[in-house]
Amino acid sequence: MARTILGAKPTLDHSSASLATRGPSLSLSPQQVEARLRQQRSRKYIDAVTKLDAGSHVHSKEAVDELLREIGQELREVSADFWPIGYVSKCYLGAPYEVHSLDRTGNIICHYKAGQSLPNGMERARTIARHPQYAFIEVYSDKLIAVTQSGDVSLIKG
Amino acid sequence: MSTERIIHLADLAFIENGIRTIRSDVAVVSQQVEGVGNELAHTRSELAQLEQLFREFIAADAMAKELQLAETRQVKVRQELETKYGYYDQVRRQATGILQAADISIVRQETITSATEELMLAAPRYWLAPALVALGAWINDNQALATKALAEALRRDDEKTTLFFALVSRRASRAAACGTWLDRYFGMQDPSKLDRQTVVLVDALASGVFGADVRNKITSRTEAWIEELSQRAGFVEEQRTQWNAALRSKAPTLDSAQRYRYLAKHSPTWNDLNASMNSAGIHAAVLEHFRQIFNGQIPPSPNIQVAVDNLLHKLVKNFDDEELPLRRDERLCQLIIDERGNRKAAQDRYALESAALDEQINFTQLLTNAAMHPEIAHSSRDTQRYATALSKQWIKEAHGDVTAAVRAAVPPSVQIDIEGWSGTTDNGENEEKLAGSLAKYIDGLKDAALAVLKVGVMHWAALVIGGSFLLWGLPTLNLLLMGLGAGGVIWFFTARSKIQKARAGVEAKFAALKEQAREMLKASIAEVVEWRREFARRDAAAADVTALLDDISPQQYVLSSHDNARKVMA
Repeated sequence: MARTILGAKPTLDHSSASLATRGPSLSLSPQQVEARLRQQRSRKYIDAVTKLDAGSHVHSKEAVDELLREIGQELREVSADFWPIGYVSKCYLGAPYEVHSLDRTGNIICHYKAGQSLPNGMERARTIARHPQYAFIEVYSDKLIAVTQSGDVSLIKG
Repeated sequence: MSTERIIHLADLAFIENGIRTIRSDVAVVSQQVEGVGNELAHTRSELAQLEQLFREFIAADAMAKELQLAETRQVKVRQELETKYGYYDQVRRQATGILQAADISIVRQETITSATEELMLAAPRYWLAPALVALGAWINDNQALATKALAEALRRDDEKTTLFFALVSRRASRAAACGTWLDRYFGMQDPSKLDRQTVVLVDALASGVFGADVRNKITSRTEAWIEELSQRAGFVEEQRTQWNAALRSKAPTLDSAQRYRYLAKHSPTWNDLNASMNSAGIHAAVLEHFRQIFNGQIPPSPNIQVAVDNLLHKLVKNFDDEELPLRRDERLCQLIIDERGNRKAAQDRYALESAALDEQINFTQLLTNAAMHPEIAHSSRDTQRYATALSKQWIKEAHGDVTAAVRAAVPPSVQIDIEGWSGTTDNGENEEKLAGSLAKYIDGLKDAALAVLKVGVMHWAALVIGGSFLLWGLPTLNLLLMGLGAGGVIWFFTARSKIQKARAGVEAKFAALKEQAREMLKASIAEVVEWRREFARRDAAAADVTALLDDISPQQYVLSSHDNARKVMA
């Protein structure tokens, strides 16, 4: 069983901070969306996502909401339909934990042990998330985007 | 009474001897059965090895046949090229021959006229023949013939003729004429549908053949092409796709089964591991490719005439579209030969580089082909440098994508199958656990085998009944009962002895199997660890590629010019 770090249980009633319900509804073409997603990520955004593993975010719902607001701000030009379904990154809690994820729809941060599968199609990001070059992996339904500490992105189709 | 007893005892000894003989025979038969069992196991093992060898033989035979077929086909294709288009060579050789003869004025005007006119007769439909007649007429100052022949050459192939005379004008230092011809050439071009010979123009630009004015003109035109192309929807994505394919075309196609013998034999994950290792080899191959492009000086041509002659030779030799189908065939055959008969690997490589053999390509694809497939695109090292510098950002992005995709495709865990047991490991950290699991599995097999080797109900029944008969027969000295009783008891002990021996055999067999399986597991895990290390080493080369691309600066592309001018190209 994955370790749910948030004190509160996962809720289906998405709060105002939920990425699924926030963000402008812009009519960018898929190519324009991809072009935007290809752009370098901001320092603020990277810091926010990489703090997934830090103590300040693991027990506080407000802190997670703040993090989600930051994500929404970074991808504000893109409709919420095209936002990541989740984030996966290397877990620094130490053994036996290997990676952790932020499930956008449920707003849950979970830490996973070796051999434990990630849900919602996020398992395909597991191998690359463990690579030290990448700060985290954005998981989309049709692609993965690997983000380095400097904000450079690499896109993997499928 | 006592006499009877002696006789009875003597008879019993006879029976006992008989039973002892039977027991001995049964023991011999038992040994023989055990021997047959061992032989059968040995035969099965040899049969499995034979099957494996047979499969390898079939695969090797198929590859050998493909290789032989490709070699034969390549010869046929080359013969066909020679038969169909061989006479073009004569025309092609004369193109630079006429110019060089005119340089030193040692051939009479009549000879040039006569030679070019003969070419006209020998090569119908070929654009170069009337172009050479026009060139000869120009050298001989025969404007009427020059105009007429030129019109015919332009009719046959406007673009090649235009480029040809642009280069000839440059060779003759006619800057204005060269500019006019180039203007005409550019006027005909659509940057999304360029003919392959445009690479000659890029070669001329990159090698500093043109004077400063013309060079500026070409540079601004190529920049305008890129600008025009980049306005189109999906342009950047197309660049990444092009470069992605170009980078992947450098992936080696090696089978590492010889170095990872245990994983190749015992891991169902092996094919993915081998594919991942080859994909990680892209970085070293790409690094080597770019180093060859950028390292060292490129010796300049001694003078403008030699430089242009090389370009003219390239223009007339390599870009005739009617030869393209055969050239494609020839290339596929060459790739099959390079891949030692592995047709699938050859077709995969061909698919990745086939854009270099398309009749029409866009300008950026032309740059990609020039940088990555110089042998097919017929580009010089100057052009490779220029094309790489212009495409640097796209290459970096595509390389980032390829690197991430290769990393994402690495199997997170490796499955190991030994003697029907299966386990997985990420990097050998759970070796003890796996060894325990494997030992337990083999103990289970042993227990199952031993479970059937035990003294059965029949044996116990024989002992009990035999014992009863003996007890019953002894007081009355009933020989029949005593004989039957002794037989039952002896059968029991014989069977028990046989079973004990068989159990000892099973114990020994599974002890050996356990040791063997443990060694196989240990060796497989050691190979997993070594595989991860080798992959990490290959993967680390990705950073070197990025560093090399980052280091490409415009200052590296200061091109020397035959006009003693210098120009920063990128």
